[in-house]
Amino acid sequence: MSFEDFKVFYVLSLLGLGSIILAPTLALTVRLPSGERFSELWILGSGHMAEDYPFNVRLNETCKIYLGIGNHMNGLQYYRVLVKFRNGTESSPDALNATPSTLDPLVEYRLFLSNDDVWEKEILFSVQDFVFEGNSCRVSRITINGDIVNLSPIKIATWNEESKGFYFQLFFELWLHKAEFVYHNRFVGIWLNMTKSV
Amino acid sequence: MVKYKSVVCFVVFIFIFSQFIDACFAADRATTDEALVDAESDLVSAYVTVGEAEQVGANVSELLVKLKSAGDLLADAYNVYRQGDYDKACSYAMNCSYGVNGIASEATGLKSDAEASYSERLFVTAAVSSVGLSLLFVLSLFGWRFLKKRYLQGILKMKPEVRKTE
Repeated sequence: MSFEDFKVFYVLSLLGLGSIILAPTLALTVRLPSGERFSELWILGSGHMAEDYPFNVRLNETCKIYLGIGNHMNGLQYYRVLVKFRNGTESSPDALNATPSTLDPLVEYRLFLSNDDVWEKEILFSVQDFVFEGNSCRVSRITINGDIVNLSPIKIATWNEESKGFYFQLFFELWLHKAEFVYHNRFVGIWLNMTKSV
Repeated sequence: MVKYKSVVCFVVFIFIFSQFIDACFAADRATTDEALVDAESDLVSAYVTVGEAEQVGANVSELLVKLKSAGDLLADAYNVYRQGDYDKACSYAMNCSYGVNGIASEATGLKSDAEASYSERLFVTAAVSSVGLSLLFVLSLFGWRFLKKRYLQGILKMKPEVRKTE
């Protein structure tokens, strides 16, 4: 090793040692950019798995799903979940334009989540009042976690020839509080086929 | 007879009073709207303060429990409001406001404590780092002199190598 190489090696060693000594102070003062910020929203079936979702619904039959939210927004967040119910032709959330459904919510949930915290709630619902009239099905009352919700206006679905059923969608929109609540462009839902008891 | 009439009058009065008491204290839509707006505003200001405290590293777990409970109450208030039960909605909204009362000041206190603790930690760490760097600088000068001497001595001790020329 030449004298010049020896000098460079010595200086580099000192710089390395200096960095180690400075590291605790740098860790307290320098804030590295955080990763991608996002929120999770999911529903699981009655077995707490991504299967066995309710589909064929009978009058007064209680169905169970699990609704979950995960916060990865790098800080405490204030969320609102709006539970809505629609037939196949009514307004639904638009993921491309990030707009929510224009329908009024049936019920809502509000929650505060710390970073990387998860919230999960068991949702028990039953369609309390629906009638079949010729080619249509009219739903007028739903119970969600014990809250009886009278639908106004009454939801009407016509017979779907292609999929053979009277379809309604129960869906959940996620809203996030910034200066006010804004739609967070996340929604999940399940299609329900109203079925006559035999 | 007079006594009997008085009793009847009293009973009739109680009956009429019980019929109207609800109406006297029932919350109308405007009152409920106001209570909901107030509750939302109280909850949001508490949330903002707790969020700020959390950002500086304060332990806000207890405050979060209160916030969550108040959030549930406000959601219940809106749920019954949609069903037209303004009395219950107003009551829930007022309970929500009551529930978050004091959270903001508590969070501000925790934030100040966390900031003070951070400053203290930063001061101690910076002081230790400064002392460490100064020591490293001084020792490196001595070390350099020592290593340079050894390196040169090593070179001087080397024996010239004689090679045979072809």
